[in-house]
Amino acid sequence: MRLGAYFAYAKKTFLGKSAYRFDHLMGILSTVLQFFIFYEIYRALYGTGKSVDGITMSMVTTNFVLSLGLSTIFSPNDYFLPGRIWDGSISTELLRPMSFKGRMIAENVGESFFNLLFKFIPVLLIAIFTTGMEKPAGAQNMVLFVVSSILGYGVLFTISFLVQMTAFWLINIWSLITIKDVLVNVLSGKMIPLWFMPVWMIGVLKFTPFASIYFTPVEIYLGQLSGRETLIKCLVQIVWIVIIFLIGNVLWNKGQKKLVVQGG
Amino acid sequence: MSFIEVDNICKKYKVSKRKSGIPGMVANLFAPKFEDKEAVKNISFSIDKGEMVGFVGPNGAGKSTTIKMLSGILYPDSGSISVGGTIPYKQRKEYVGRIGVVFGQKSQLQWDLPVIDSFELLKAIYSVPDDVYKKNLDRYTELLDMSKFLKQPVRQLSLGQRMRADIAAALLHSPEIVFFDEPTIGVDVVGKENIRNFIRELNAEDKVTMLFTTHDMQDIEKTCNRLIIINKGSKIYDGTLDGVRKLHGSSRQLDVFFANEVSVSPIPNVEIEEVDKRHSQLIFDGKKVHINDLMSHLLSTYNVKDMSIAEPDIDSIIRKIYSKEKVA
Amino acid sequence: MGDTLHLITVYSKTTAKAWFQYRVDAFLRSLAVFLREATGIIVIYFTLLKFDTLSGWNIYEMLFLFSLLFLTYGIMIIFFTGLRDFGKTVRDGSFDRFMLRPRGLLFQILFANADWFAAIGHGGLGITLFILSAGKVGIKWSGANICYYLITVAGGVLIQGAVFLFIATLNIYLLQTDSLKEMLYWDMRKFAGYPISIFNKFIQTLMIYVMPFAFVNYFPAQYFLRKEDMAAYPEVYIYLTPVVGIAMYILAYLFWRYSIRFYKSSGN
Repeated sequence: MRLGAYFAYAKKTFLGKSAYRFDHLMGILSTVLQFFIFYEIYRALYGTGKSVDGITMSMVTTNFVLSLGLSTIFSPNDYFLPGRIWDGSISTELLRPMSFKGRMIAENVGESFFNLLFKFIPVLLIAIFTTGMEKPAGAQNMVLFVVSSILGYGVLFTISFLVQMTAFWLINIWSLITIKDVLVNVLSGKMIPLWFMPVWMIGVLKFTPFASIYFTPVEIYLGQLSGRETLIKCLVQIVWIVIIFLIGNVLWNKGQKKLVVQGG
Repeated sequence: MSFIEVDNICKKYKVSKRKSGIPGMVANLFAPKFEDKEAVKNISFSIDKGEMVGFVGPNGAGKSTTIKMLSGILYPDSGSISVGGTIPYKQRKEYVGRIGVVFGQKSQLQWDLPVIDSFELLKAIYSVPDDVYKKNLDRYTELLDMSKFLKQPVRQLSLGQRMRADIAAALLHSPEIVFFDEPTIGVDVVGKENIRNFIRELNAEDKVTMLFTTHDMQDIEKTCNRLIIINKGSKIYDGTLDGVRKLHGSSRQLDVFFANEVSVSPIPNVEIEEVDKRHSQLIFDGKKVHINDLMSHLLSTYNVKDMSIAEPDIDSIIRKIYSKEKVA
Repeated sequence: MGDTLHLITVYSKTTAKAWFQYRVDAFLRSLAVFLREATGIIVIYFTLLKFDTLSGWNIYEMLFLFSLLFLTYGIMIIFFTGLRDFGKTVRDGSFDRFMLRPRGLLFQILFANADWFAAIGHGGLGITLFILSAGKVGIKWSGANICYYLITVAGGVLIQGAVFLFIATLNIYLLQTDSLKEMLYWDMRKFAGYPISIFNKFIQTLMIYVMPFAFVNYFPAQYFLRKEDMAAYPEVYIYLTPVVGIAMYILAYLFWRYSIRFYKSSGN
């Protein structure tokens, strides 16, 4: 399908978002408040200490700014498919010439771009001016950080995609999505920097995709990884994207066959 | 003193003037500007017990506002309403226990639960005595043919079934007055007949007073004996359906079907409505325009395939009335 | 009175039955709410594994602090679900339907709906945390202490109920209050999970005088725990929760009554 159509779709989403300005402002405020909670907690935890296990307060701050920031940019619409199954529009949607999955991504890209400009940047500026955030460890790190963030987004997106596929069978998947969110929030470094997790947890996390979402980019940004480690972790991100997408795709094909439309 | 007395009621709405943009929205939040819109201007009428009255009018004419005032949801700005000696908006709790309201577009039943569960909830809400409840339930189930779906969740019902259930629900507490707002919208022909029969029987046997607001003129034709037309906040007609027809007694409607696509050029004193490219409806006053002249004009000017003449349907008459300010 | 109680029973049966139509979903939903609310606790648990105490509060004291928040919410939401969803009720016309029934408006809104999932999720979490922590923080459950606990929980329920009532009433004037509610209630509540002493003065002022979560769990917890950071606040605050709750509820109720009159006279 023509790329132009996807772009138009992304643009439509971008413009649609600007209609809800009050909500939008509140959303920014909300993220800023969330950030401050973590900041104050760690300020209290650190007290007068300079660093814990080699991690300084500014590194902690950076972790939160970046994780929260990235999460405001990249927030997949978990109800893209389920919503359409619930109201029955899924049947007509699948008849459209544009690929359904393609549209899912295009819509989210449009949204992400909007969020980048109008959510992330304000939050970033506020955080920088009020707290002590670290600069990137180097120009290379900055570039790699951007690449890794996008890969991290890919991981997050495919996770959402996979969970959404269950809607073909369960229809109402609010609980699953909520549980998914809990896992992502706790295990991605967004609420507690993974440096402070117990050793056994870090071991477990190696078998899950969550650390790949925000923490890998943060580590790259702060220059904590050698060149080789960076490469490996980025590859891990890609591997997760592929695995999760493949599983999700299997469900997608099965789900198409079993289309249950609810509502009369 | 009639059962329902409505005396010179008026109602103004404040419509907010919204500015656009962020400054506008903030301004609106703290210092909203309003504009007055007169929804109801000095409407009066009286209705006796047991009458079946239809309220007709274009959207925004003030029908729903009037009904809301009659049901106690809104206060009139001025004027008075009295129903069976009670003032609806002053004694809400006592009053609404004696009325029933059916909203065609919004069900009052619990979506996920069997119909019967909703009925039992309503029984508790209206404190309906056991024997009255049972009598009504049995009667409505039979008349509205609901036994097949009483135990089914509302979300599984067809529109016609749901409408019937909603009507029964509004009547469980044996109200003296029932307001129907678009009660047959979207219902199939058989369902509509069933509902209309039920309504007529209820009125005949129990002398329940009924008010209908609807766009479906067939509903009104088949159930009501009286018609009140409201337009732009004022009452412009109050009388029988026959009376409306007689006012336009000499009015005629000529349906012309053409062999090819035709756009009929204007004809003096004739209202032309293009139904589609090959079919136009011509409405005219039989006293002003001679049918012979009109027909020969058409036959000689266009390629006519078929023609039929009749009294205009009540819809077109009403529409015509809307466009005039007042009717005798 | 008996008739009203009977109606309340029928309402409860109806709402519970409607919710349990989706059986697997019912269990999953409660679990999901439980886990979602537990996120903050899970996080603080891991954090304190590393750091031991937060401003002098250890993990059990933190759990006790959290438990009050959830317990009061769980109880509150049983009654105030209708107010939580009031915006939608007004927008879709259900509110007019309430007005057409021969029962008090607020009564119907309070009892016609109950989000049992939220109640079980939050309430269950509150009880779990209480069980985990109450024994470990050195509380003697004397008669006086039990009394205090019950009264202060009731006060906490009223405080939050009053906020919900207030925000619900705003729906009569504003088209959309969702983001306001997010801001005023949910975002502020996140702060309440932690001893307010760790925050800057501005936040503390908000938490004590604007959106008084501090009276829901921080000061009540201090009654039992008497941590050092309490020195920064007047001791009397520990006893004010029920007073604050009643006062807020009365104010919110008056605003509600006034707004209903406004709704009826302004048209909608």
